Amino acid sequence: MSALQLKGVRKAYGGIVALDGAEFTIAGPGIYGLIGPNGAGKTTLFDAIAGTVTPDAGQVLMGGRDVTGWASHRMAAAGISRTFQECRVLLEETCLDNVLFAAQPKGLGATLSQVFTRSNRHRLQLHDEALRLLSLVRLEAYAHAPASVLSFGQRRLLEIVSTFISSPDVFLLDEPASGVNPSLLEVLMDFIQTMYAERPRVFLVVEHNMEFIMSLAQDIIVMHQGRVLERGTPAQVQASPQVLEAYLG
Amino acid sequence: MAVRRFLGWLLALSVTAALLSAPVWAAEHPYVLHMMVLICIYAIPAVGLNLMLGYSGLVSLGHMGFAGLGAYTAAVLMVDARWSFWSALAAGTVSAGLAGVLIGLICFRFRGHFFMIVTLAFGLLLHAIMNNWDAVTRGAAGFAGIPRPKPIAWGDTVIAFGQLPNFYYLALALTALVFALQYLVVRSNLGRILGAIRQDERLARSRGVNVLMYKTVVFSLGTALAGLGGVLHVSFLRVAAPASFTMLESINTVLIVIIGGAGFLVGPVLGAVVFVALPEGLRLANEWRLVIFGALLVLITLFAPSGLAGLLGRLWARLGAGSKEPGP
Repeated sequence: MSALQLKGVRKAYGGIVALDGAEFTIAGPGIYGLIGPNGAGKTTLFDAIAGTVTPDAGQVLMGGRDVTGWASHRMAAAGISRTFQECRVLLEETCLDNVLFAAQPKGLGATLSQVFTRSNRHRLQLHDEALRLLSLVRLEAYAHAPASVLSFGQRRLLEIVSTFISSPDVFLLDEPASGVNPSLLEVLMDFIQTMYAERPRVFLVVEHNMEFIMSLAQDIIVMHQGRVLERGTPAQVQASPQVLEAYLG
Repeated sequence: MAVRRFLGWLLALSVTAALLSAPVWAAEHPYVLHMMVLICIYAIPAVGLNLMLGYSGLVSLGHMGFAGLGAYTAAVLMVDARWSFWSALAAGTVSAGLAGVLIGLICFRFRGHFFMIVTLAFGLLLHAIMNNWDAVTRGAAGFAGIPRPKPIAWGDTVIAFGQLPNFYYLALALTALVFALQYLVVRSNLGRILGAIRQDERLARSRGVNVLMYKTVVFSLGTALAGLGGVLHVSFLRVAAPASFTMLESINTVLIVIIGGAGFLVGPVLGAVVFVALPEGLRLANEWRLVIFGALLVLITLFAPSGLAGLLGRLWARLGAGSKEPGP
């Protein structure tokens, strides 16, 4: 049974077909790269997996279960954690609270009863882990500062770190390296590899920085015009004439 | 730091003492006590709106329509069905909260300005029902003969709510209760979820928050508090009039929250104090109230966008400026 499988996923916005029968299977844990020229449908594909958009046709399967068209909060509960291309963090909350919020239970019953029990057990349990994650991306000094004081690159790191505190099965990272200072890229790469080494799960990474993704991922999926064009190791993909054609036109 | 904490406790204690002893120091001026009851009556729905507007980013322009719904429900139950004040108070609160669930689910199909306009429409609709459903609400003439709570007998002591000081204590206790509820909600995981929805709905959703469900929860909580305030309102005046629950009153409640400081615990209370006391203190006619409030709103949005509570908070922080932790 595969961890994540897409079957003939199609999504059109008016006359523009963003996904045109995209298909691939991710068998198990690993760091997977998803690349392709602008407009290839990478972000729409993420949105279809994360439940932000409902595919017009096709299926999304997670661990063999059909999760097509599930709302994003339900997908999050089912074990999908994502970052956004445009980078989203809670600007008014501290970095620590940003991370802890990701781990907080979101069910109505638990939330309403916590209003009166005021139990902080869950937060205290995760406090040290949250600080450890922040220190891995060198944000520990900002733990108690609001996220609004961070630079764009640091916000990006905070967003990525926040997705790792909960324990999902599938991570979707949308252009994690964009906007991150070159000196922090190595920190980011180390961080993702550390997280993978600690608990191997499915990491699916959309990235335009070729150097970054080719050294991070072992398995690269190339998209073009809403379909999967090519798949293979970084070396295979880079040698493929089809891929070169798609990128260079 | 320690000095500031001490001053904080001192301030809280003196405010509590002043509030509790009001019937004593204002014994010669029942008018002051009357005003303080009015402040409570405005503060309770404003706390509800603060949870929605200040903490969750949901601007409702029909808030007092729900106060009216609660008030008329309680009025009908007390006068026509002979319910006691206390059960009618609970029924009014719950019915406003349930109406909040139903109407909220419709309004949440819209976002931003469209959401505000739909809430405005529902506020007008509720007012139109109160104004025109003569058989039940007695129409525009108002619903007279609403009783005060029955006296409570405790051995030899009898607390009669016909007397202003006792009704004042009732209003104060309900306000304190509502304020405590606001505190509990805001400083909890629920408050964190609501804050996340206000700051970034898409992010909240991708973190597993069922945004529609939590918006409905807070809308219903806010409208229930509006209903509670409405019941207290009509029991105090002994008459329910549609004029108490117009669109203008809804907008006044928004002004109370914004001028007091949206998203601050004390915001709605400060706003209600200013709203009731300022025109009275200046001995101005009711028409001038809007002029003053308009001017105040302009000044606040220009110079203190976080309202009076934000302004006072900054002054308070300056008191201990020397001991403030340096930013990273």
